[in-house]
Amino acid sequence: MKHLIIGVGAAGISAARTILKEKPEDSVVLVSQDEEVYSRCMLHKLISGERDAAGLNFVNDGLLEHKNLEWIKGKTVTRLEAATKSVYAGDEKIASGDTILIATGANSVTPPIGELRTAKNAFGLRHLPDARGIASCAKNAKEVVIIGAGLVGLDAAYALLELGKKLTIIEMAPTVLAINLDAHAAAAYQKLFEDKGVVFHLARKVVNTRGDGRGNITAVELDNGSLIPCDMVVMAVGVRPAIGFLEGSGIKTERAIVVDDYLESSEPGIYAAGDVAGFSGVWPNAQKQGEIAAYNMCGTKWIYDDRFAIKNTVNFFGLLSLSVGAINPADGDEVLVKEDRLNYRKLILRGGVPMGIILQGEIGGSGFWLHLIKNKMRIDNRGKSVWKVSYADFYGTQQNGEYKWVV
Amino acid sequence: MFESCYGCATCASADKPLEEFIAKLPMQTSHHRVDTQETKCGFGLQGGCCRLCANGPCRITPDSPRGICGADADVMVTRNLLRAVAAGSGCYIHVVENTALNLRNTALIKGRMKGPEALERLCRIFGVNGKDEYEKALKVADAVLADLYKPEYVKMELVEKMAYAPRLKVWKELGILPGGAKSEVFRGVVKCSTNLNSDPVNMLLDCLKLGISTGIYGLTLTNLLNDVLLGEPEIRTAAVGLRVINPDYINIMITGHQHTMFVHLQERLTDADVVARAQAAGAKGFKLVGCTCVGQDLQLRGAHYTEIFDGHAGNNYTSEAILATGAIDAVLSEFNCTLPGIEPICDELLIKQICIDDVAKKANAELKPFVFAEREKLSNEIIDAIIAAYKQRRPRVKMNLMPDHGYENTLTGVSEVSLKKFLGGNWKPLIDLIVSGKIKGVAGVVGCSSLVSGGHDVLTVSLVKELIARDIIVLTAGCSSGGIENCGLMVAEAAELAGPGLRAVCRQLGIPPVLNFGPCLAIGRLEIVATELAEAIGIDMPQLPLVLSAAQWLEEQALADGCFGLALGLPLHLGLPPFVTASKVAVQVLTEDMKNLTGGQIIINSDAKESADILEKIIMEKRAGLKI
Amino acid sequence: MKRIFIDQEKCDGCKNCSFACMQAHRQTPGTVYDLDLLDPKNEARHSIVTNGKGGYVPVFCRHCAVPDCAGACMSGALKKDPETGHIQYDEKRCGTCFMCVMSCPYGNIKPDRVSRTKILKCDFCVNDKEEPNCVKSCPKKAIHVEEVVWEAAV
Repeated sequence: MKHLIIGVGAAGISAARTILKEKPEDSVVLVSQDEEVYSRCMLHKLISGERDAAGLNFVNDGLLEHKNLEWIKGKTVTRLEAATKSVYAGDEKIASGDTILIATGANSVTPPIGELRTAKNAFGLRHLPDARGIASCAKNAKEVVIIGAGLVGLDAAYALLELGKKLTIIEMAPTVLAINLDAHAAAAYQKLFEDKGVVFHLARKVVNTRGDGRGNITAVELDNGSLIPCDMVVMAVGVRPAIGFLEGSGIKTERAIVVDDYLESSEPGIYAAGDVAGFSGVWPNAQKQGEIAAYNMCGTKWIYDDRFAIKNTVNFFGLLSLSVGAINPADGDEVLVKEDRLNYRKLILRGGVPMGIILQGEIGGSGFWLHLIKNKMRIDNRGKSVWKVSYADFYGTQQNGEYKWVV
Repeated sequence: MFESCYGCATCASADKPLEEFIAKLPMQTSHHRVDTQETKCGFGLQGGCCRLCANGPCRITPDSPRGICGADADVMVTRNLLRAVAAGSGCYIHVVENTALNLRNTALIKGRMKGPEALERLCRIFGVNGKDEYEKALKVADAVLADLYKPEYVKMELVEKMAYAPRLKVWKELGILPGGAKSEVFRGVVKCSTNLNSDPVNMLLDCLKLGISTGIYGLTLTNLLNDVLLGEPEIRTAAVGLRVINPDYINIMITGHQHTMFVHLQERLTDADVVARAQAAGAKGFKLVGCTCVGQDLQLRGAHYTEIFDGHAGNNYTSEAILATGAIDAVLSEFNCTLPGIEPICDELLIKQICIDDVAKKANAELKPFVFAEREKLSNEIIDAIIAAYKQRRPRVKMNLMPDHGYENTLTGVSEVSLKKFLGGNWKPLIDLIVSGKIKGVAGVVGCSSLVSGGHDVLTVSLVKELIARDIIVLTAGCSSGGIENCGLMVAEAAELAGPGLRAVCRQLGIPPVLNFGPCLAIGRLEIVATELAEAIGIDMPQLPLVLSAAQWLEEQALADGCFGLALGLPLHLGLPPFVTASKVAVQVLTEDMKNLTGGQIIINSDAKESADILEKIIMEKRAGLKI
Repeated sequence: MKRIFIDQEKCDGCKNCSFACMQAHRQTPGTVYDLDLLDPKNEARHSIVTNGKGGYVPVFCRHCAVPDCAGACMSGALKKDPETGHIQYDEKRCGTCFMCVMSCPYGNIKPDRVSRTKILKCDFCVNDKEEPNCVKSCPKKAIHVEEVVWEAAV
C-alpha cells in the first residue's frame, strides 16, 4: 500500500514513522510546503540565533532516509481529489496514495487591519520562512510591536529581547498568556518581561497602522488612540487550520476537517491529524493523532480518545509553569491556592475531582495531574491533603512491569 | 538453631591461610557477613543522616539540605563525630580508671609491683614520693584518679606534667586543655545532644580536647600504670598465630583491654593446686591464649609470664577462628573487642563465656564482676566453671587446629623504654639513621582491624609493605599489630621486604622492619617515642618526619585516639573517612585547616600504594623542613 | 527490553537507591564518600513516597512501551531507543519546553533545578554495563531487572 501524507509537522512525521514501523513493506509519500523539517515550537530559537534551521529538526532517527519513504518538499498542495486520492499543486499532480493523511497544520491569522496583511515588515510566526523573515528584518529594526501576548507572542518577545530590541506588546485580553494561565500566574511572566524593558498594552486592540508609503509599517494605532512607533510588527493572535485547499474536494469541513473517532474524514481512506483536525493543537496531541491515524491507515482500528488538549507548559527566564484543564473555576467549584516565595499553585476541584491545575515554580514530577484531570479521577478521598496526592496513591504494576492506575 | 553459612562467600584477609581456614568453617563468622552487609547506606557513610530526635531520621539530599530542625550536614556530621569521640574517650577512660583502681588496691594490700623502674619514672614525672613502693604506687594511682574525677571546669593536673611543652602551649592557645576526663566525656555527650550545640568548629575543637584526655590518660598512663603492676615489656621473640593454641591444655581466650583485672586469676592458674586440678581433668594445665588487644598486652609483657601465656593467636577479627579451632574452653571478656558474633560459636562449641566487667557482658556469658576484695573467691569460681566446661566439652567437640598458622620467631616486647635500651640508652642511633636517610622516617601504623578497606587487615598489611619498601620504619600498636605479625612482617626475615636503607639497618640489628608495641593502648607509647624524638632533636612534633596511619580504624575509640594524634600535630592517615564527608566544614577542618591549628591533618585514602605515596611525600616534606 | 521491577512491599524508604542514582549521575567521578549530597545537579531521578501506612512507594521510570514523554517531545530530545527500548534523553536537542514533565503520568521527569535548561530522567544507567546502580544498591533486594517484550500493545 502507498500512503500519502501531507505535511511534515508533528502529526505527519509521527504518522510516517508509525506506518513504516507497522508495515515495513508499505510506502509513504510525504508532501510538504516546507523544505525542511522543523519544530515550530522552537522557531523563536532561530530568531534569537540560538539555533540554526538544522537545530530545529525534531526527527531523531533515520526516518527521512527510509527506503520506502519519498519526500516531495516545497510543494504547496492546492487541491485534493478524493476519488483518486491525488493531490495537486495547481494543475500539477504531485502524488497519490491508497490512503491520505492530511496533516497540513495551521496558518497564522493575520488581522485585516491597516497594512498588517501586506506590509513588508509585518510577520506571523508559524513557519520557518516566518522566523527567517523576522530574523532578517530584525537586523535593521530597533522597535518591534508584537500583537498578541500568548505563548507565540511571548516566544517572539523572548527571542527579540535576546537580540536587544525594544518591545511593545499589545494584547486584547487583560492578561498575558490568557489561554494558559490565570491572572496571578500570568502577572509573574508579565513582570519578568517588564523587568527586561518590555511595555505591555493589555486589554487593547490594534485598530490601524501607519506606514512609510513604501510598504513598511511605522506605527500601530490602538483603540485608545495612542500611537506606537515601530520598525517591525509580529502578529501572534492565533492560527487557523490550513484547509483552504480542500474546497471542492468533498471532504466535510467546518472550522477544521470533520473527523470521526478514527480520525477519518467524510471521505473513506482520507484521514486528518494535528491542527487541521480541529482539536486544539498541542504537540503531544498532534503527534499522538498522527500515530493513531497511521494505525488506522494501516488497517488496525484505533480510536483516538485522548481529545484532552487543554494543557501546556510555559518556560520564560527559568520560571516554569504547568497548566492543565480549567484555568478559572465555574460556579460551585472549590479553588485551592498555595503560594510561597518560589511557588504558586492553584487547584480547581469539582466534587473532589480536579478540573484544573496551575503550577508555577517547581513543576518536577507533576505529570500525574494531567492523567487525574483528563480522567476525572477523584482525589479528595485519599486520606491526605490533595496537594500530597500523586501517582504513588494509584500505584500498581502490570505483569510486564508497566505501571497501571489502581483506584 | 545455629545459623549455618557454610559455603558462603567470606571476605578477603591479608592472612591467606586464615582466609582459607575461615572460608571452610562450618559456622558463620563476621568474615561471612561482610558479603551480606555489602550494601551500605550512602547517607550513613557520609554522615549525612541524623536520628537524634523523633523528627528524624533526616537525610541530606539536594532536595533537603537541612534536617527538620534546621541542622545542616556540617552540624549532623560534627555532632555525630563528637558523640563518637566522646564514647571512644569514655571507653579508654574506663580502662585507665580500672587500671588505676587496681594499682591503688594492690598498693593498699602491699601486693607485688612488677615494674619498679616504671614506678620510679612515674613518680619523677608526677613529682610524688613515698616511703616505699606501695606508698609511691598509691600516690601515683591517686594522682591519676584525682584528675579523672575532676569536674569539667577544673583542668587536669597531670596534663601539664605529661605533655611536651611546645604542645602544651599550642593546646593552651586553642583553649583545649581538658578538665576532668570523665566530665569531659559527659560534657561531650551533652553538647552533641538534640538541639544543643550547632557550631561545627566548636564541636571539632571539643574532639581535640577529648583526644588529649584520651591520649594522656586512656592511652599513655594506662600503659605506664600497667607497667608498674604487670611488669615492663622486654624485647624477645615469640610465636604468633593459631599455632600457639595447644589442645593439651585448658585454654582460656581473653578479650579486652584491662589486663589488671585478671592478674589474680592469671597467677592462680599456675599455682600447683590449680594445675593439679587441670591435670585431674585430663589436661596438662592452663594456658591463656592471646586475642584482641589484651592478648597483645600479654605478648608485650610475655617475658614475665612464659608459663601461663603461650602466645598471641590473632586480632579482633581472628577471634572467631581461634574459637573455631575447638581447643578454646572458655572466653573471658573484660572489655572490647569482644565481638557479639562469638556467642553462637561459643554455644555451638560449648565454650564457657565469662565476663568480668559488665561493660562487655555477652548475652550468654556468666557475669562475674571483678571486685578486688573478692578476687580469691572469684578466681576460684571461674576456675571451677572453666574446668567443668573443659570436662563437658572436650569429649564432644572436634578439634580443627591450624598448627602451621602464624610465625615462630616474631619480635615483641617493644616499648619506648625497651627500644631506647636496645638502641643503647638514647634515641641518637635512630635519629642518625633518619638524618643519614637510611631510614626516611617513621610511620606509626596503629588501630584496629576491620573487614572493609579490602578485607581483614588487607589495607593495613599492604600499606605496611609499601612503607617499609620506601625505607620508612613502621611501629605498630593495636589490632593492626596482630594482623601484621600473623602475616610475617615482624620476623627478622621480613627485612627482605624493606627498601635498601631500612633492610641494611634491620639486617645489622637483626630486627624486622616493623616493630610491635602491642595493644592499641600502646599508641600512647608510640606517642612517647615521638615526643622523645622531638625533644631529642629540639623541635615540635609536627616537624617530625613521622606519620600515623589508622588504616583500618574500626571503633569510636580509634576516633578518640585519632583526635589525640591530631592534637599532637601529627599527620593521620585513615583508610575510610569517619562518616564525615557530607560536611564540607568537617572535611576542610580535618584535612586542611588542622594544619594551622595543631599542625596535624587527616589523610583519607583506601589504596595502599597511593596512601604510602602521600605519607612518604609528607615525610619528605618534613625532612626538607628540617633540612635533612 | 530490560525493565526495572520493584517489589514495593520490600521498600523501606532507605533511599539507598536515591543515593546510588545520585552517584550514578554525578558530573565528576568519585567515590560514594565524596558525592556532594547538597548539589542539586546530583538529584536522584526517581521518587520514594510514603504511603502513609508505614510503607513506601518507589516510583521509578519503567520505560513505557508507548512513552508519553517521548510523544510529547517537540525537539526529538527524547527517544525510545529501538534496540534497548529505553527512553533516552539528548540534552543538546532539548528545547526546554518541559512538555515531557507534564506528560509523564507517573511523575518521573523533572526539570533540572539549577539551570532549568534540561530535564532529569532515568537513563537506565546507560553508561553502566551491568545493571542500573539502584538495583545494585538496594539492601532489601527489592529492585531487579527483567527482560520484557515491549512491542506496543494494540
